[in-house]
Amino acid sequence: MSHHPVHVVQPADAEILPKLETPAVISRLEELIRRYPVKRGALLQALWLAQETLGWLPNAAIRWAALKCEVSPVHAYGVSMFYTMYKKEPTGRFFLQICQNVSCHIQGAENVIVHAEKVLGVASQGGNTADGLFTLLRVECLGACGNGPVMQVNDDFATDVVDGELAMPDGVGLTTERFDRIVAWCRARAVAIPTEPARDSLGGMLVGTGGHPGATGATSAVQGIYAPPAPALGLGSSRTEDGKVKLSWRAAPETTTFHLETRSGSGEFAALASLSGKDKEWIGELAVGTEVRLVAESAVGRAKPSNIAKVVA
Amino acid sequence: MSNSYSKPILPKPDTKRVVINVDGADVEVPDGTNLIEALKTIGIDTPHFCYHQDLPVAGNCRQCMIETDGPRGMGLAIACYTPVRAGMKVATDRSSEKVKIARKSVMEFLLANHPLDCPICDKAGECTLQDNYMAAGKHESRMRDDIGKQYKGSPEFRHEDSKGQERGGKHIDIGPRVVLDQERCILCDRCTRFMRDVAGSEQLYIAARGDHAFIGTFPGQPLDHEYDLNVTDICPVGALTGKHFRFQQRVWMLSKTETVAPDDSLGANITVEHHDDQAWRIMPRRNPDVNASWISNATRLQYRRLSEDRLASGSFRGTEVRLADAIERAGGLVQSARKVALVASGHLTIEDNAAILAMAGAFGSRVEVFGGSWLSVGAPDGIARSGDPVANRMGCKLLGVPDNLDDLVRRAGEFDVLVVVGHDLWAADSAKAAALEKIPERIVLASWHDATVAKSTLAVGVRAWAEVRGTMVNCQGRIQRLNAAPVAPSPDLEPVWQVISKMGRLDWSSELDAFRFAQSRIPALAGLNYRTIGSMGRILEGVAP
Amino acid sequence: MATLTVTQNFGKGAQDIGVYKSLGGYSSLSSRLFDLSQFELIDLVMRSGLRGRGGAGFPTGMKWSFVPRNSGKPVYLVVNADEGEPGTFKDHRLMLEDPHRLIEGMIICGWALGVRTAYIYVRGEFLPAIEALNAAVKQAYEAGLLGKNIAGTSFCMDIYVHRGAGAYICGEETALINSLEGFKGQPRLKPPFPAVSGAFASPTCVNNVETLMALPWILENGPEAYAKMGTPKSPGTKVFSVSGDVKRPGVYEAPLGTPLMEILEGKDYCQGVVGTLKGVIPGGSSSPALTAEEAKQANLDYEALAGLKTMLGSGAVVAFNTTRSVVGMLASLTRFYAHESCGQCTPCREGTGYADRILKTVVSGHGRDGDLEQILDLAANFTSSTICPLGAADSAPIINFIGKFRSEFDAVVAKNPDRGEPRLSKNFRPGAFWE
Repeated sequence: MSHHPVHVVQPADAEILPKLETPAVISRLEELIRRYPVKRGALLQALWLAQETLGWLPNAAIRWAALKCEVSPVHAYGVSMFYTMYKKEPTGRFFLQICQNVSCHIQGAENVIVHAEKVLGVASQGGNTADGLFTLLRVECLGACGNGPVMQVNDDFATDVVDGELAMPDGVGLTTERFDRIVAWCRARAVAIPTEPARDSLGGMLVGTGGHPGATGATSAVQGIYAPPAPALGLGSSRTEDGKVKLSWRAAPETTTFHLETRSGSGEFAALASLSGKDKEWIGELAVGTEVRLVAESAVGRAKPSNIAKVVA
Repeated sequence: MSNSYSKPILPKPDTKRVVINVDGADVEVPDGTNLIEALKTIGIDTPHFCYHQDLPVAGNCRQCMIETDGPRGMGLAIACYTPVRAGMKVATDRSSEKVKIARKSVMEFLLANHPLDCPICDKAGECTLQDNYMAAGKHESRMRDDIGKQYKGSPEFRHEDSKGQERGGKHIDIGPRVVLDQERCILCDRCTRFMRDVAGSEQLYIAARGDHAFIGTFPGQPLDHEYDLNVTDICPVGALTGKHFRFQQRVWMLSKTETVAPDDSLGANITVEHHDDQAWRIMPRRNPDVNASWISNATRLQYRRLSEDRLASGSFRGTEVRLADAIERAGGLVQSARKVALVASGHLTIEDNAAILAMAGAFGSRVEVFGGSWLSVGAPDGIARSGDPVANRMGCKLLGVPDNLDDLVRRAGEFDVLVVVGHDLWAADSAKAAALEKIPERIVLASWHDATVAKSTLAVGVRAWAEVRGTMVNCQGRIQRLNAAPVAPSPDLEPVWQVISKMGRLDWSSELDAFRFAQSRIPALAGLNYRTIGSMGRILEGVAP
Repeated sequence: MATLTVTQNFGKGAQDIGVYKSLGGYSSLSSRLFDLSQFELIDLVMRSGLRGRGGAGFPTGMKWSFVPRNSGKPVYLVVNADEGEPGTFKDHRLMLEDPHRLIEGMIICGWALGVRTAYIYVRGEFLPAIEALNAAVKQAYEAGLLGKNIAGTSFCMDIYVHRGAGAYICGEETALINSLEGFKGQPRLKPPFPAVSGAFASPTCVNNVETLMALPWILENGPEAYAKMGTPKSPGTKVFSVSGDVKRPGVYEAPLGTPLMEILEGKDYCQGVVGTLKGVIPGGSSSPALTAEEAKQANLDYEALAGLKTMLGSGAVVAFNTTRSVVGMLASLTRFYAHESCGQCTPCREGTGYADRILKTVVSGHGRDGDLEQILDLAANFTSSTICPLGAADSAPIINFIGKFRSEFDAVVAKNPDRGEPRLSKNFRPGAFWE
């Protein structure tokens, strides 16, 4: 089930806004907004940013994100409720999410989940343990089925502890023993490091005008001309039923003109006719053995010639 | 909104027609229109929920299913989002079993999680869920207790009921005028589209997903907008209802009288719905050229005034008198007066003002007509109000009623009798009106005990706007009809034109006499009668606003 | 060992641009690409026969040809990295192992379509992959392969990684676009199609991760070489995610048309089934499952599986043996689809939950005679009247599992001694509500 609790005390704006209106958060938000041609596009990322800063997403933060992205508050609220990863109440320090979908199910997920509920003393519906350390939630397919049953601890995939770190080694899926090892690892970590260090929820926010060193930022810009003009392709020669020569080809829709050129024997190609850019074939009289080629032209200019086709009998 | 859907393309009188095949028969329909509209023009009604003529198409209810031909043969499609294309083949439920099953299954799905509220729901009798079930559903329920229903509601309003069932949100107070029942919502998104695209203020939104989705406002924020009650009209079920009408009347008891709004010069088309001689609500009447399907809250809630503070008899020097006596006395005063100032009113019908002008004419230079308004004019809101509170300003102008109230104030001393008809001068501007208190006899024809009646020496009760038959010309130059609802507080009350006729001894017997007089003053009314004006009104020739 | 076109860098540290280049990466960003007009490049991809690898299998070159070149509007490329189809985990692995290959493929696609701004929409649960992508994008900018005037040409392109927030439905391309634009991830009515009006009302191409990652190889080796692999109608190779009752679950690239049993038992692949095979889901949970008999005749390509009334889909193979309860498998899937329904249209919104609740009632031992028929009937009703294929994706496993393994379901219903009770509650009496 998604993570939407029944009764949460909502903190007031006065408590939340000062935490969001810091230079660090504002500058990151401005970067994010610059990545989209419309401010509204940054809404999901703004909600991630607020959640990372506060640990969860109270209504005051949702309203803040709405204001910044120029959408109505109820729109941002509806969006925050639509996606399951936005937390509408604080979670424990270690958010354990175990997949219950078909492949993990076959590989014993139910067993592990029931064991987890017993060990932690909390139902797997997103509840927090009494000591506030763990939240346990059944989730849907996490996209790592080769390691089923799969679990995430906060944002990391973890099916075992290897060399003192959470890991998901090849072919290793969660078992009750491995789950216990992971829980022990978490408890040890909580003792060694009093507060969980912040994790960049956007995976490496890059700094530059648009979020990257070379990026120009929000753009509804149209690409200029960069590629060569399109030639005609696949020029082929055949005969119509009444014996005329038929030439056919493929070409780009932006072609304005085709220049049909012929050559007999050695020597240069000479222009024979100009055809409309909409034509896909030409029917006429040509000597057998004549070599033909098509030069397409568009607003960009003349393209390189097509392949050479020989008029057949 | 998550996409750029557009409003439906509706047939117009000049839309080209093309031939398509419906249920095996070739028919002619307007080209390029949404199929659901095209089918309507040939008398085929397609059941639907989320579609509305005046809102962007959403296509989410899936009730309006039909079959049409595509690259892979005949296939199911929604009629509201399928454009008419010459030569297309369409199968409705009349010829396609698949369509019948698809429509029936949508009804089953909608009712699967819907609360059994009909007995306590205001919408019963005009509920699209009920109507479409009878038209396209009629399935036997396959639900049972241990399967259970997933009732809809937001986390803050979900609760457990007395039987231990998990329930959604019930009778939530979401704003000054609207009650929300989240359980009843079928997530058609009409209210969301209305608030965003018509009202221009996105205050409602469907949050969460799947059968856990629900309609609501931002937690703690009210639904509050001058047009918010329109969501209760367009809501196909009883999810959004008006507080003013809650538990007041069963809709099948109500009779409907078509009229126009008296509080604004756009003249939004409305119906007054009444029962037992009382008006119980006002509903919008669709007129694509005037107010579409919308009316403001102010217009809608006017019906309450019809039974508040009514002047149902006469009063002379503060004492209540019989209406007939008051009218007679008023007539006598005017007959014997030296000079009468007769104030017309843009809040009254063409017929009423015609009577005023006719009476003035009958008395010659002894009676002088004054008109205009001291009320301030706002800006049009682009929805259903022009901003001008004087509904029949255009009608008065066409009749030749002068705009000279301030003149009257200046020259008040010249008159010994003042007659104010249907015009609350003292409420509009008591400072200016004070000057009129020097006129010794002040006769007021009014429907309410208002500030002007309080300053009168003789007051005569008259029927209110909803109780009269007549016409008004709106700010577009459109003449529109008012019809009389039987809600007057006393059977003795008469319309203004009739009282004036008695006072001025015009001997008019019906509104038609008044209308004919108006025709003599307004060339554009030539050849018209109440029938040819029609229920949607008529633009008058050569009357440029 | 068959030719690898997208997984050849696995395990080689190709996340680093230096390593990627030393393995031949970004070689297509040369005259090989820059001398091509947009039309030629699209024609080249058409000739390769490459089909969308996300699930629909639509010919990529043809999809590209629908994007107008002179509309005056910007063209967006949105990479669909919202891999959520149960059983699928190939894109996850591809992005973690070889993010630069995706970037190279995006630049090739960008060249073909005139893309100025591209987004990689990654599902929110894949934060490690997002980190790998962001690091790779940063390296690409620093190497002059992104941003203005890429590799000395006048072509400019930006790539932004966009993090989703937990919604399987965002894998549908119009829902993806809506989510990118800051809305709920609800699919759109079509037309208009994204190629004409997609993200921000502009022409948009949505391509799967694996599809784009095939492009560098195609450019380097030529479309004919790609088309020679696989089958005539399903050319090239496919990356299969294989899990469940196999000895060596994982991500494997093989030519299309490879027999399913080869993937399950081959020494280069999963090296054998664990236990006795009962059935196989061949292409993700939305594809009808095959019995063990059918699996033995199945080749993994679009046409062969369509011939067996199932589909290749995302190529997510889930094998299950005779100890696995199909009833439990279906229950986990009906719960999944009910949870993931976006809620926009009636049949899917109410129907998936309704079918799930009935199945839960059966699984909990309270099923009645006729319940299975009701589930099948509901499933049939939310198959073809929905806005997007999620309804059909739920009905496929329902109809298929109950159809092919009916006796297992009957056995669960049979456990209820009251199964013959009428469908209305025992306690139902008209008027009881008011007492």
